[in-house]
Amino acid sequence: MIDMAAPRRKTSAFRLRGYAACALGALVLIAAPALAQDTAVPRTAEQQAQSWQEIARLPDFWQGTWQSISPIADDFSTTPDYTASAQAYIKQYKPAEDSPFTNCKPLGMPFVQNIGGMPMKFFQTPGMVAIYIESSGMTRFIHTDGRTHSEQPNPTYLGESIGHWEGDTFVVDTTGIAPDTVFQLGRDQRALAQGDHSPIAGVIFGPHGPNLRLVERMHLVDFNTLEIQTTLYDDTVFKQPYALPARRFLRGIERRNEPQEWACTDNRDYLDPVTGKLELNVKDKAQNH
Amino acid sequence: MNTTRRHLSRPWKLALVALATVWTQTANAHHSFGKFDMGKLTTLSGTVREFTWANPHTWLIVIVKRANGTTEQWALVGSSPNMMSRWGWNAADIKVGDKVVVDVHPGRDGTPIGSLQTVFLTNGKVLADPAGSTGQALAGGPGHLPTKPQGQPYK
Repeated sequence: MIDMAAPRRKTSAFRLRGYAACALGALVLIAAPALAQDTAVPRTAEQQAQSWQEIARLPDFWQGTWQSISPIADDFSTTPDYTASAQAYIKQYKPAEDSPFTNCKPLGMPFVQNIGGMPMKFFQTPGMVAIYIESSGMTRFIHTDGRTHSEQPNPTYLGESIGHWEGDTFVVDTTGIAPDTVFQLGRDQRALAQGDHSPIAGVIFGPHGPNLRLVERMHLVDFNTLEIQTTLYDDTVFKQPYALPARRFLRGIERRNEPQEWACTDNRDYLDPVTGKLELNVKDKAQNH
Repeated sequence: MNTTRRHLSRPWKLALVALATVWTQTANAHHSFGKFDMGKLTTLSGTVREFTWANPHTWLIVIVKRANGTTEQWALVGSSPNMMSRWGWNAADIKVGDKVVVDVHPGRDGTPIGSLQTVFLTNGKVLADPAGSTGQALAGGPGHLPTKPQGQPYK
């Protein structure tokens, strides 16, 4: 900000004389303090090198990519302590014929990490860990610079994430998750008992509260295995925080495991909003070619 | 399923059971493929009308000539380009007008739709669709590929 303002002030002063220059100078002086609180000071080359040194020996989440080897759905085998409103919601819940993510709309936290099929890639830079989630083409930005959550984060599908290391475990705290983010709040075990083999059989999708908070604990079981255990905090759904079973990811370091682009542009599947059935709009598309 | 299985040797029966089992693990990301009979395998022979390499799914539209002289248009959905490229597919492998033989899991409702399983090209290349594979198989690449179609021929 300062770097930008300085040359402009100099040029203006050269062109404008007298009161005009004074007025402009005053404007800059007034504007500067208001902007100052957002102004970051760049690290020197020396400080930056030191910052990289500090993160260089953290547990190696970075080589290759991580492919989910856990089922898509969380199984909720221990029934959560639901609130009355969540119980009422579950009682009247009628599963659609298919998942609510048959379209190109991106998923959000935490379900976006359940989908699998395509890998995730971890990156780090001083002050930040990023996770590219190929199956939705989105990247999580996890701040590791010691900040606290915004008072009122703007709603996003991935939320606002802040991370810190507890020994070899990376702990990530996420809030600010958009209200329309696909959310699994339970699972009807009867669907599984009835032999429905769909990967989302019995999944109860539903709304989460505005204060949904996730705490993820990520650690390496061994070089090839990453484990992420997530606890859900949402007092509109669960009376007590609900700890999901850990999910596992397999490391791949071959070229085929490298991350790829995901741009969802050719959706032909949709859930009929009236019937709740999955429809494939293939005929029209093919005939238009 | 029954018709198909009658012609299958025991190893293939086991393979199908295994497939049905892994399907519960990590099926395709965007829908459950509940529209398709995953236990049934049909072999189609036809000419490519469209091969779309796009997310969330690839599509292979094939014109199939039936024994009675009529033609049918089959719309076959594959998994996503990313998953398929990791299993050796390339967008340029299939072109409009190509003759192909395809093993598919057909629609349950009897309409000419299906889920791609394996494509056999005239140049001998065999392409398996990774949909429904385990995370281990997705990360590790395809295993043994069939050399010839395994489904019930569609006439």
